[in-house]
Amino acid sequence: MRFMIIIKATPNSEAGAMPDQKLLEEMGKFNEELVAAGVMLAGEGLHPSSKGTRVRFSGDKRMVMDGPFAETKELIAGFWIWQCKSKEEAIEWVKRCPGSSNEEGEIEIRQIFELDDFGSELTPELRASEERLRTELESRQS
Amino acid sequence: MRFMMLMIPKGYESAAPDTMPSAEAVTAMMKYNESLKKAGVLLALDGLHPPSTGARVTFEDGKPHVTDGPFAEVKEVLGGYWMIQVRSREEAIEWAKRCPASANETIEIRQVQELADFPPDVQKAAAGLTEMQPDNRRAS
Repeated sequence: MRFMIIIKATPNSEAGAMPDQKLLEEMGKFNEELVAAGVMLAGEGLHPSSKGTRVRFSGDKRMVMDGPFAETKELIAGFWIWQCKSKEEAIEWVKRCPGSSNEEGEIEIRQIFELDDFGSELTPELRASEERLRTELESRQS
Repeated sequence: MRFMMLMIPKGYESAAPDTMPSAEAVTAMMKYNESLKKAGVLLALDGLHPPSTGARVTFEDGKPHVTDGPFAEVKEVLGGYWMIQVRSREEAIEWAKRCPASANETIEIRQVQELADFPPDVQKAAAGLTEMQPDNRRAS
């Protein structure tokens, strides 16, 4: 099963503050453990929402709003994509994530949809196009 | 430059665990996904099961605390994402505008941090992170 591990924003991350040396080293070790366990699939940090934008949709109209956005705790600062046997395993890994000692962080765990999760709504044609898209993406070399 | 397009569907915060998109929605979205791929900008994409199936971990007082979804008082949740590689923020915004999204959906565009964006000491500490990830998701 794949999970998106969402690192919520904090006032520090939104301010563009850099993590300290200790946290960077701990994070590096943690990432190495994730790789060694075959759990790590991807991980990225995002620039603060002050550099972001939102698009809202209404029929044919598009409304574009620049960040920063309020509700810091609901914003995303970064994420991992992990492969785990269960949500419980993902939770156990998250509990070991090095935290910043100077503020409260929140990490959200969400299961990623796989083709097999979809019921009969996913017609054979749709399933075939999804599979083809995924295969082409995975074979793309950087 | 790499950007995340984060899909925020209003109402998903209270969606039941077995909620699934309809065939019509998936068909329309697949056309869009194909157009991203044809243009050579699509790096990755995923949909997420609703928060009612998820969990949150917080770290007050230095200890992990686990809460199962759904999460009360939450107004915005992530429904899925695309990662794209484009020349500018403006180009990322143009792609987001083309998404067949509905009136209750918002797409948030956020630039992905590259190692080169960080000061030298952070780059040094984060060395090796790029290699931990699959080729197809990296900047090229």
